[in-house]
This record gives sequence, C-alpha cells and structure tokens, in this order.
Amino acid sequence: MTEKVKIRIDGEVIAATAGQTILEVARTNSKYIPALCYMEGLSAVGSCRLCMVEVSGVARLLPACTTPVQEGLAVTTSSEQLSNYRKMALELMFAERNHTCAVCVSSGHCELQSLAQDHGITHIRYPYNFPKLTVDTTHPRYVLDHNRCILCSRCVRTCAEIEGAHVWDIAGRGIGSRLVSELQRPWGEATTCTSCGKCVQACPTGAMAEKGWGVEEMTKKKAAVSRLTSMREGQ
Amino acid sequence: MTTGLGTALPHLQDQDLIDRIIGDQAGRPGALLGILEKLQDRNPHKYLPMDTLEYVAARTGVPQSQVYAVATFYALFNLDPQGTHTVAICRGTACHTRGSRALLERVKLQLGLQEAADGADKLTLTTPDRRFTIRTVACFGQCALAPVVEVDHAIRGHVKEQALIREVEALRKERAR
Repeated sequence: MTEKVKIRIDGEVIAATAGQTILEVARTNSKYIPALCYMEGLSAVGSCRLCMVEVSGVARLLPACTTPVQEGLAVTTSSEQLSNYRKMALELMFAERNHTCAVCVSSGHCELQSLAQDHGITHIRYPYNFPKLTVDTTHPRYVLDHNRCILCSRCVRTCAEIEGAHVWDIAGRGIGSRLVSELQRPWGEATTCTSCGKCVQACPTGAMAEKGWGVEEMTKKKAAVSRLTSMREGQ
Repeated sequence: MTTGLGTALPHLQDQDLIDRIIGDQAGRPGALLGILEKLQDRNPHKYLPMDTLEYVAARTGVPQSQVYAVATFYALFNLDPQGTHTVAICRGTACHTRGSRALLERVKLQLGLQEAADGADKLTLTTPDRRFTIRTVACFGQCALAPVVEVDHAIRGHVKEQALIREVEALRKERAR
C-alpha cells in the first residue's frame, strides 16, 4: 500500500500515498479543509459534512475524510457552492440544540464556534429546535451537557478506539439521537469508565468539560489524544 | 474478566435461555441483532428488560453502550413492557391526509391514554393493565389503503373511526369472556 500517486488540490500537484484520504493528504500539505467529526488518530465517519469537497468528474460533493485518493484526482476545497453547503450544515447544528456561547465554558476555544466565525455566520436561518435536554453532573470530575452536543461521536470513538472502554455510544436515531453512557446510566455510575478524560479532551464543543472552570476557561488538549495513536503506531 | 454486572441479574432460567440463544448465534457478524430479536420474541411482554441487555453485553463482550445503541436505533425493539394487544396507527403523509391523527386521538381517548409531553415522533403508549399498546408507525407502505391501522399484526385499510373503536372494544371484551 505504498504506491505513490499524484493528485491536485486547488490546482497544486501533491504527492500522496494510495490509501490515504483526501483530508489526510490536505492536512499534511497545509491545505485547509474544515472538519468537525474528523480527528487525527480516530477512524473517520463522515458525519459532520463540513469537509465536503468538489472532485472533478464527480457530479456530487464528496466528504474528504472518507474519500481515498486516486491517481490524477483533482480536488477543489473552496467554492461558493461548498461555502453555502458548509454554512447550511453549521447552521443546522446550531438550530438542533441549545448552543448559547455566552454562558459556555468552551466559548473562545470551541471548534463549532470558530468554524461559524470562519464562515461568517451571524444568524441562523432555520427555526431553533429548542429540545429539553439534561446536564449530567454525576461524574466527580467531568460534566456532560447535552445542550451543546453536536453528535460528532469523537468521544465515542476516542473511548472505544484509544482508551478501549467504549463507555459512550449514540442511542436513538434522527432528531432523537442522544449520547449515552452504557445502558443510559449516569456518567458517574458507569462501571466501565476509567475517568481518563480523553473524551472530554476530544470534544469539539463545551458538551464535555472538566468541572471547576468558568465561562471561556475550558481549553482542550485534542492533540495529546491524537498523539496516543501515532505513538502506538510507532511502537 | 469481570462481567460488570452491577445490578440485578435476570432469573436463572432466563440466563440459561440467553446463553443458549447467544450460543446459537455465536461468531456470526451482526449476531447482536438476531440475539436481541429472539430474546424480545421469547419475552412474555415482548420487550428487552435492562437486566437482559446487561447480561447480553457481558456474555457477548459487546460494550453495553453499543447494545443500548442498537436496541434504541431500531423501532422493532421495545425497552418497555408491551400490551397483550397492539394497535399500530400509521402517521405517514398519505394516512395523515386521510385522517389518521383523528384515529389516533380517538383510540387514545377510548383507552384513557395520554401522550408524553416531549412530543417524540415515535409514540408508544401502553395501558397500565398492559392489555393494549398503541404505537405510531412512519409508513406501512400501503398508502393506497390509507388510513392504515395494524391491529395485532393484521393490516386494516380504509379504517373508519367507528370500525376501529368497535374492533378495540371487541378485543377488550375478549379476555373478559
């Protein structure tokens, strides 16, 4: 699987290895493609739809995080169509839950917030869903606020793939989907949770946070979690 | 390896049944679906109790959260005890335009059931005596027969309010006899 291929990203010819995804190649070559559910070191699920790119010869948009590169592939990472599409995806995330940046621990360090700013989102065109959601404070060190969850499943994959505990999963379906620990047990009573906190560090928003921080104070160590995978691969 | 069984275990004969069902499916990819389906079918109230899910997770090695995710994703699985009789009312577009909401409201009134306040799109209500369960279905795929109601797994088309009430009333009296 070390076959070398040449692809074009925004016109620039880039050498890549067959089997890599468009997003991996872009990131290693300092080409920016926005993404939320993708995190280095985790499997890709292609659920946030922010890394959509145009591939010449393909009529529909493709998610960069799950599309493998091929010889001669020509990718466009930004266009008016893509920008509109990404804006829509972001706005729908905001409309789905109760995201109130002004009172959020992660405000200023939130991936959802910064992506919205990057895309010039000043208001949401869709009616808010305003679901009644709970905040799980049962864990001695961490908090889970469903109001701020975007169901990216980064915590689920971090716990299952890196920690190996698989405490989290997404229950239900569609608009009723919720993050659950074990059999919908409170987090503090989860028997398999090791309290390692890697899910908290992987969370792109303020949905998972350490206790004891005020508004704008929670910064995440996402890179430290990603590094675990590359360290293990090197062994 | 610890089983992680914190709470009550299922009864011993239930454990035996679960072990046998898991044994039949062992090693097959996607075995969990078949296991849960069989277990629900064998349950007298046609549902998956939490202790059963916990036991299945421990026995199969599938994480509890994943067992729960599968059990809640599929509309087929019930996590609450079901009534002896099931009335499934279609709330798809075709049935809606032919008045399925009125049918649902009428049957709810007849059985004295109230909708939970959260307004979820999938509705399952069971009477306290566990004789009737009313549920909504997204579509039966029988739109030409709208409005469609399924009573104890038999599909009824072009359902009229009065006919449905009579049918439910007949089922109600059945056990009294």
